[in-house]
Amino acid sequence: MNRPEPQNQTAVSSYRARLSITMMLVVLALTALGLFLAERKVDIESRLDLLQDFRNELATLHGVREVRQAALAERCQNLVERPRIHAALEDNAVDLLYPSARDELRDVLGGGNERDNDALKAKFYRFLDGKGGVIVPAEKADVGQLAGSDEKRLALPRLTKDLQVGYLLRRDVSAIDEILTMPIISTETGEPIGALCLGFEAGELVHHRTGEIRSGIWVDGRLQLPGLTKAEQDALDAELNRQLARRSSDVSLRIQLGGTPHLLFQKRLNPGSLYPEAYEIAIYPLAGAHARLWQIRRHVIIAGVALLALGLLASHFVSRRLSQPVEKLAVMSEEERAARERAQAALATTSAELQRSARFSADASHQLKTPVTVLRAGLEELLSREDFGPEVYHELSALLHQTYRITGVIDDLLLLSRMDAGRLQIQFEPVNLSQLLAEWMDDISALPDELHVHLKTSIEPDLMVLGEKSYIAVIVQNLLENARKYNVPSGEICVAAAKRDDSIYLTVENTGRPIPLPAQAHIFERFHRGGVGENVPGHGLGLNLARELARLHGGDLRLVRSDAKWTEFEVRFRAVESANAPKSDLAHNSTARYPSAHPA
Amino acid sequence: MHRVPYALILIFGVTQGAFGQGSVEGRVTLPEKKSAPVATKRYEVVTKGGVLATDPPLGVVYLEEAQGRPGTSVTRQVAQKDLGFVPALLPIQTGTRVEFPNQDDTYHNIFSYSPAKRFDLGRYRKDERPFPSVVFDKAGLITLRCDIHEHMRGLILVLDTSHFVITDPDGRYRLTNLPKGKFTVKAWIDSRTTKTQPVELKDGSAVHVDFP
Repeated sequence: MNRPEPQNQTAVSSYRARLSITMMLVVLALTALGLFLAERKVDIESRLDLLQDFRNELATLHGVREVRQAALAERCQNLVERPRIHAALEDNAVDLLYPSARDELRDVLGGGNERDNDALKAKFYRFLDGKGGVIVPAEKADVGQLAGSDEKRLALPRLTKDLQVGYLLRRDVSAIDEILTMPIISTETGEPIGALCLGFEAGELVHHRTGEIRSGIWVDGRLQLPGLTKAEQDALDAELNRQLARRSSDVSLRIQLGGTPHLLFQKRLNPGSLYPEAYEIAIYPLAGAHARLWQIRRHVIIAGVALLALGLLASHFVSRRLSQPVEKLAVMSEEERAARERAQAALATTSAELQRSARFSADASHQLKTPVTVLRAGLEELLSREDFGPEVYHELSALLHQTYRITGVIDDLLLLSRMDAGRLQIQFEPVNLSQLLAEWMDDISALPDELHVHLKTSIEPDLMVLGEKSYIAVIVQNLLENARKYNVPSGEICVAAAKRDDSIYLTVENTGRPIPLPAQAHIFERFHRGGVGENVPGHGLGLNLARELARLHGGDLRLVRSDAKWTEFEVRFRAVESANAPKSDLAHNSTARYPSAHPA
Repeated sequence: MHRVPYALILIFGVTQGAFGQGSVEGRVTLPEKKSAPVATKRYEVVTKGGVLATDPPLGVVYLEEAQGRPGTSVTRQVAQKDLGFVPALLPIQTGTRVEFPNQDDTYHNIFSYSPAKRFDLGRYRKDERPFPSVVFDKAGLITLRCDIHEHMRGLILVLDTSHFVITDPDGRYRLTNLPKGKFTVKAWIDSRTTKTQPVELKDGSAVHVDFP
């Protein structure tokens, strides 16, 4: 296995990093969610706890007020049944009202002696007339002290048959009084003819809280709560005024007091009353809740960190597990890619070279053939003239011979280039090799022979090989010409053809100088001439061409031996009888481009 | 006993009649009777919407004189009987002393916060002698109450005239022995309603004045 490319390694590690980051994000989100939920839970719980506390306090307050109201109702009932009170109200004898009620109401006012009952003792009382206006008593001694301006604020816009609850901030003593105003219903008419207004101390009811919890009453746009600094007072008043102006149904409010958070509850004390709105305000410090919140927050964060660490560890393993195959894949794909690229590069190079050489051969052949033909025609023209000397004719004849040589070379080049380009199609058919050899023997015998070479043959009759006759003839011709060319005077040529197994072997032996051993390996290469002298005609393509053609025919050409006496070549053809091989195989072979023995 | 005032009125009327011959008679349209008629008629003062009147309805018709006459020194009585005032409605001339005899077996404490006369007789019993009494020296309507029995109501109409009469249950009245001259006849129907009619009396003439 090769090392993966750096680029790939980066991809794998980034994949792993992404996986880790994702897991981290998930854990972070979970931690955040946990924190959020925990905080919400604490917040809601503490809020509910405090709200419950607040409601309990209010319930207590409500209980006290109910007792008061019951007592007051009874008192009023008694009062309105008093004929003197009735007479005073009905008979325009308002001046006699307070004197008439004095005895009746004496025990309602707290004398200061019975401390245990003080909450139920009124601080003052006043009567309202039939229109809700305050009936000012002539003698204030027996009705409780009340400043004139405060007295006026007891008035109601109208009388109803219901008890009215109000809260009066007495500016002179900075105290809040709870006002209970009970209508006096006429027994004659059933309508309210006046009202009895009793003032109780409200502070005692609402300020006796324990610990840090503080409560007060908000009335007249101002909060009455002991122990507030001026700044706190102003801030609270502003906040409450804003809150209450909105008629918000939310009973709780988060505020900052002295730098620490507090929860503020408010509840209207006198819903539906004709008196100005008053609210019970309770302020709870959230320090305890905050401490608990911090504790829980710490726990959640610790849990989150632990979870994160665990998650990271897990994600590390998981990502490794997950990324391993990916890594492997990446490595493999990288190797495959490299191999493919190499193969493609080699293929491209090979292809380009082949194309180039093929094109070169084809171009050269075609470019050369035309001038050679022109040249030959010119020479033949000259030969046909009769005004030259015999030396000239001899020279012309030699030149003409050279043109035939050139044509042969060009034809060979053409053939080779077609083979190289893979364009050579062999039309396979049975060829009678015996007959073909016999014809060539006759031709060679007919040629002028300066060396007086003896020709011996040992050819089985009617040897049928598979191939195209013209190309087989080229092979035979090349071998026979070589055997003649490289012979010694009075040498011998032995041609033998026989069938062995599924092949037919043609051997051509000739006497002559042996091919040097180092050159033997190169004799099938193009333009190799085996170190022969220039006097030997040839162009170094014949053996190469013959071997290529033999191979295209499914056979081969090899040098069997080359010693002091004999040089022997052997060609192997496929016999027709053995040509039962599938056509497709043959077709494949026929179109296959055989690798050249010497590229470039 | 409750017929005594009527007898007194008649006597009084007759004695006054010596001074003049004129008379006014007619009918005051009284409110519808609210309760079914009962055999033994007993009048009481009721309040409806803050308005005091008798039930069954009765009116008082009187002649408003141009110049006030000096008060009389007669004495009348409003008794407390069966936790009620008898009579329930008593018209008197200013200066009249009214005695309040208690004819029940329980205490009564008659008082009035009415602007025309405020008084408080305190608690007293049947055997209280002399009868607790009050002189009414200022004209106006007096609401009588009992501090012990809050439902008790009585009315005394104090008038600056000696010529007055209570209508009968149908609203008919007759004022006699009236002097000559131009007067205003008034009909008191309840604490808020007093109707007026001008009248010119000649010697011996009888004028008919209705108060619809």
